[in-house]
Amino acid sequence: MSALDATFAALADPTRRRVVEALRRGPRRAGELAETTQMTPPALSRHLRVLRTQGLVAEERIEHDARVRVYRLQRERFEELQAWLTEIEVFWTLQLGSFKTHAERRSRVKRA
Amino acid sequence: MNPNDSVRVTTVVAVEPAEAFDLFTSDIDAWWRRGPRFRADGRRPSAMRFEPGIGGRLLEVYDAAGGDAFELGRVLDWEPPKRLRFEFRGRNFQPGEVTFVAVRFDPDPAGTLVTLEHSGWAALRLDHPVRHGAPEPAFIASMGGWWSELLGSLRRRAS
Repeated sequence: MSALDATFAALADPTRRRVVEALRRGPRRAGELAETTQMTPPALSRHLRVLRTQGLVAEERIEHDARVRVYRLQRERFEELQAWLTEIEVFWTLQLGSFKTHAERRSRVKRA
Repeated sequence: MNPNDSVRVTTVVAVEPAEAFDLFTSDIDAWWRRGPRFRADGRRPSAMRFEPGIGGRLLEVYDAAGGDAFELGRVLDWEPPKRLRFEFRGRNFQPGEVTFVAVRFDPDPAGTLVTLEHSGWAALRLDHPVRHGAPEPAFIASMGGWWSELLGSLRRRAS
């Protein structure tokens, strides 16, 4: 399984997408994430484990308090996903460009 | 960083929405690009065809008389002149795997604003070895190759 497939698989779940959405605004504690996503701590912990295993988030300890751990997005994996989506965007940009050329040419021919 | 799995592309076309919808669907073979980067089997001559109406098929036809065609998907919404939605599959999608393309044709001072959104990538369970029977999912590999080839050709043209 390629890294990109793993990213897609991990993000196929709507709860995990909400977690990622929350983490885009900055690192969060598990408790804060459970509140945001309205999940029980054990359920959230399972989702966090998937995201962590797939390298989408990392767990960190806060410097001044080793007991507090926060989750943070791992940027590289999202850049990979973004690159894939950019490729699809290029595909449709070319297709719509071709459609525009065709439609406007046809329309001129009809009017002339 | 984009955790969403949809891609949105827009263009403004200098024709009325009704005509844009009609040309998009009935003339699809005239504007849909040719070759392996854009067609499921780009090595064979083919004709793209939309069967009008909900449930109609989007086909890449190789031999109309012999019934040889690849079905990219079915039409889910067909509301001329406003919007169109259809399924979009690659040749190497597994049964049940599908992505979705939604197209809107909105009136614009310059004609029609066409908005195309392709979604559903994240829902593809490409990682499931039971369903694929292969360690490397064919779809991502070949689509990946497809897209990177496309990008390569763009870069070559640009340089």
